[in-house]
Amino acid sequence: MKRFDPYLQEVLRSAYDAIAENLAIIVMRAAYSEIVRESLDYSTALCDRNGLTLAQGVTTPMHLGSFHDAIKNLIATVGESAADGDVFIFNDPFLAAGQHLPDIYVVKPLFHQGQIEGWATTLAHHSDVGGIVPGSNALGAREVFQEGLRLPVLPLMRRGERVSEVWAIIEANVRTPDLVRGDLEAQLAACNNCEREFAELVERYGIETIRASSDELHNHADRLTRAEFAALPDGVYTFEDHLDGLGDEPSPILLTVKLTVAGDEVTVDWTGSSSQVEGGVNTTLPFTKACSYAALRSILTVDVPNCQGFTRPIRVIAPAGSVLNANFPAPTGARGVTGYRMIDCIFGALAQVVPDRVAADSSGGSSLPTFSGFYDGSHFVFCETLMGTSGATLAHDGQEGVAHIGSNQANVPIELVEARYPLRIEEYSLVADSGGSGKTRGGLALRRSYRVLKQGMSLNIRSDKRTFPPHGLFGGSEGGASHTVIRSGEREIVVPQMPLSPLPLAEGDLVVHTMAGGGGWGNPFERAPEEVLEDVIDARVSVDAARHEYGVVVDSDVLDTAATEDLRRAQKKGSA
Amino acid sequence: MLVGSDIGGTFTDVIGLANDGCVSIDKVPSTPGDFSEALLEGTIQVARNLDCEPGAIAHMRHACTVATNAILEGRGAKVALITTKGFRDVLDLRRIRMPRLYDPLYHKPAPLVPRRRRFEIDERVAHNGEVLQPLRDAEIDRVIDLIGEAGVEAIAVCLLHSYANEAHERRLGTAIARRFPEVYCSLSVDVLPEMREYERTSTTVVNSYVGPVVADYLESTVRRFASVGVAAGFELMQSSGGTAPLSEVRRLPAQIIECGPAAGVVGVQKLGDAIGEKNIIVFDMGGTTAKASLIEDGRFFVSETFEVGSELSATSAMGGGAGYSVKLPVIDIAEVGAGGGSLVSIDAAGGVVVGPRSAGADPGPACYGRGNEQATVTDANVALGYIDPSNFAGGSIAIYPELAVRAIRDTLAIRMGSTMEEAAFGIRSIANAHMARAIKAVSTYKGRDPRDFIMVACGGNGGIHGPDLAVSLGVGTVLVPPAAGVFSALGLLCANVEVMAAVPLNIMLDTADWLDVAGRLNDARGLHGARLGSTSVNNAELSFLMRYSGQAFELEVPIEPAMLIANDVSALVRRVFEAVYRQTYGYCAAETQHVELVSARLRLSALASRSMSELLKALPRGEEHRSSRKCYFGARHGFRDTLVLSRAAVPIDEAITGPAIIAEAEGTTVVPPGATVQRDRHNILRVRLPLREHP
Repeated sequence: MKRFDPYLQEVLRSAYDAIAENLAIIVMRAAYSEIVRESLDYSTALCDRNGLTLAQGVTTPMHLGSFHDAIKNLIATVGESAADGDVFIFNDPFLAAGQHLPDIYVVKPLFHQGQIEGWATTLAHHSDVGGIVPGSNALGAREVFQEGLRLPVLPLMRRGERVSEVWAIIEANVRTPDLVRGDLEAQLAACNNCEREFAELVERYGIETIRASSDELHNHADRLTRAEFAALPDGVYTFEDHLDGLGDEPSPILLTVKLTVAGDEVTVDWTGSSSQVEGGVNTTLPFTKACSYAALRSILTVDVPNCQGFTRPIRVIAPAGSVLNANFPAPTGARGVTGYRMIDCIFGALAQVVPDRVAADSSGGSSLPTFSGFYDGSHFVFCETLMGTSGATLAHDGQEGVAHIGSNQANVPIELVEARYPLRIEEYSLVADSGGSGKTRGGLALRRSYRVLKQGMSLNIRSDKRTFPPHGLFGGSEGGASHTVIRSGEREIVVPQMPLSPLPLAEGDLVVHTMAGGGGWGNPFERAPEEVLEDVIDARVSVDAARHEYGVVVDSDVLDTAATEDLRRAQKKGSA
Repeated sequence: MLVGSDIGGTFTDVIGLANDGCVSIDKVPSTPGDFSEALLEGTIQVARNLDCEPGAIAHMRHACTVATNAILEGRGAKVALITTKGFRDVLDLRRIRMPRLYDPLYHKPAPLVPRRRRFEIDERVAHNGEVLQPLRDAEIDRVIDLIGEAGVEAIAVCLLHSYANEAHERRLGTAIARRFPEVYCSLSVDVLPEMREYERTSTTVVNSYVGPVVADYLESTVRRFASVGVAAGFELMQSSGGTAPLSEVRRLPAQIIECGPAAGVVGVQKLGDAIGEKNIIVFDMGGTTAKASLIEDGRFFVSETFEVGSELSATSAMGGGAGYSVKLPVIDIAEVGAGGGSLVSIDAAGGVVVGPRSAGADPGPACYGRGNEQATVTDANVALGYIDPSNFAGGSIAIYPELAVRAIRDTLAIRMGSTMEEAAFGIRSIANAHMARAIKAVSTYKGRDPRDFIMVACGGNGGIHGPDLAVSLGVGTVLVPPAAGVFSALGLLCANVEVMAAVPLNIMLDTADWLDVAGRLNDARGLHGARLGSTSVNNAELSFLMRYSGQAFELEVPIEPAMLIANDVSALVRRVFEAVYRQTYGYCAAETQHVELVSARLRLSALASRSMSELLKALPRGEEHRSSRKCYFGARHGFRDTLVLSRAAVPIDEAITGPAIIAEAEGTTVVPPGATVQRDRHNILRVRLPLREHP
């Protein structure tokens, strides 16, 4: 077959990107809940007739790589019966290849002359889907039935008409029906717009061209990725990382990855990771694949089309029954933290392959505090995703105030939180001496403190990296450990990383959450003394830490060069 | 005499309008050391051309890049920031989100104020304005002493919830003014009295960061002009459109950051007024970037927020975080890194990539013969025969077509197995696809259908790509005005003097007290009208920012003042809101869903005394030339004998059928096969495109 016109191909690629981006913009602007419209915890994609992602909005990498499994399942389920004007909804990890129950897919088949030629795909993290804890991120759930409303593939619209029964069941089963309805409407609006734009594209170029260019796009991405992988040194690279574990006496959950680079393909093998657990941190295979793809995509040096084709040279293995491929009816509500850890773990292995393309370990993705209460006959649920600080890289200190690779989310403005919820935020700042020391320094940890302004509220929090703080690389130190306490009058209650059930709060309590700091890179005694001085002046590093961690003597914001040289010489002798 | 001037990185455009209605245009190289040098040179030149004494210049209307450059080059003031205790890192932490996915090496822009100069002060106000922790005088003294030790050139103050209670910020402002009378200081309540601490802090900091630089520039410019006898009153264009007196610019210098592009849009809006076109896609393409914006029903769109200093990535409205957030009204302009200089390359898998890397002005495209051998978009246009080698940029830049052909053949065509012409045409179509995204970012992303608009193409490359781009978007008509290459300066001459004012309302639509609203709008009109200085307001445009209760993003809804004295105002306003909402998102919520009226936006203007139509009339018409050459128009049309005309040679009463090329010093217009072109009585080229043609 003659090769597809390469110029037209690039023209169409740009058009697909524009459609996917428009999907994302409409969801953001029309959404209701903080987690969607401020944190931007949602994703969108335009998929081709086979359900393969063609283009994605600039949204959440951890979601994106799993769309294919979800749409494949959708196609298998609805098959020929789908009609023009139908819209489907689903969330269940086991019945619908979903992620976890709060992530609700709204998907519309895109018809042309009676045939499905594409899929408008949106997924949004909803503020609540019922279950035993507000926000539906139960860490202590023992099976999926406790986590909330399970939606197999269901029609949300049928031939352009609302299926009111489905809407009614959803609204009856969630704590925040207004937010959930509003966010679903936003997803729907985005799908409808996508349908219109895709139809225009088909009208202009003809369906045969669109089909051929879709296939070519996957092939092109495949070729580009293979060229990148082929340039990596063949070999087997392993790394281990842990989730701290669940509850008051957490036992570590092991993630172990074996990365095999062979020619132009990479295998990501999670065999040896912990068995599935009785708690919400299990993941299903589509999600494990998505996280593996996201990590590997991050080391590519060229702009590869973000379509399904780029994943073809990647094979992901996770044994059934493990925490990364859990069997029914395992709970998965808090699976996000496991996803972040998978990406961190792969980066640990990649540091052995391409040390110049990854950072030392970061604060590990989002902490997820959820405050809730029931007043005047209705619930409030306030949940935000807190990020983040990164580890040091070869060239730069760790960045502070950045998202994790897995999920490009935003923070929620303090003033907005206080105007809407009975909370006052008393601190949102960087914590001195929390960045792992190194030739380049890990980013400082973030701290956020919440004053509780009403009696009868409760706190659920998903955090990590306390027992296993972020690792450094090549001689750099680990970053500061995470920590959460409730200060209640004279008492100070230490909150577990992942409590199994929500903790009661009293009016006046102060919840102080400190995230982990980023890992350092290289020997801290080789850090330029002037850089350490700058850190001291900016109160990022204390005078004590400058001396002990870096061998740099600073007095009244002035560098003592002679004392520094002595100290560093002595350290070198000591270590020799 | 009135002078409009627009300073860009490469050229300074100056247009003079004499009292007798004569116009003179001058383009001089910019003088980055002191931009006012070239400005004065150009101004003197046009005055001379118009037989005017410098002293006869009554008004200077100006756009410059001085504020933007201060940020891009990190040459702003040394700023101290005062924040509420516990929150000095808000500026640094930003909104967390990154502009790029999948980049572990991402390095964010350094905060404009380093941590050591971010001072926390012990005070606290709640969201309802209640004082939770009073601000003590001793605390003010303590912080002011620290700032004194730091030795700064400007100060920014942003305390939590100050929009709800400004008392603490005001007291700090007074104390700062007393202690450091020479230091530029901005309070967040004056800059952006709105919720969302990061955006408010960042905007206030940007304002303080550029404040001293802008003030110095204005002072030196006024002084330089005074020294040669020009005592003209200066006005500067604002990012939101409309010029403002210097007092207003000094107060809120961050307001001029995007003034150059804004002037161009204002020019096209005025052009639309002159010729009766209400719905326009403004397409402006230069050497390194292409810009697009939208005019609907005679109004341009104003965005609430933008980022300054970000490297140009894509059109992503989702990105965010690449630059410094400025939440001030700005004409909504999308920009892509696609211009004449955009470089062409082939990726590892044989895909063709155009831009965003650019050959810039130096070395420039391969056809400049200055050492770049990689093909660019301009090389494609030269190789296809569209650009006249002997008259590029009025003959000021030499073009070597054989170098363009060689670059395309050697770096692209041979490796792709296509002919040189196919490759050149392919480059064009890819560049067009990128620019189509910029246009979509301002049209379809807002629910507008480009087919309901005409396009006005300006900038040096606007006419070369505009018509093809229009075809791909389904736009039926492209207008290329005369002086398209200096349209921003032209826009300045007929811009209104304007200020924009945001009036916070925060009320539910159902229960709004419309008498109270009218009272507040009236007060705001008086208060903000005074910002125009001695000029008095003779026009006011009103819009409401509204949303469904529970949403975070508002829609701007234009409001006719008469609506507010109708019987059932709430129902009337809701209907207009619903219409805009439906247009944007394709659906409306149920009648039971409450609607919030967040704020009102007033645009207060003194309408310009000069109209675009009189300017167009006064522009020189040029000579008539006609020739022909062979140009390539894609596989379907192949090489065609193509008429090459000067603008003056394009007939007024009848249309010529393409292919045709209109070659002018300011730029080239390509009329593709099947399209027609004629000139209207305003000397505007009117290109009509065949609808929905397949590529």
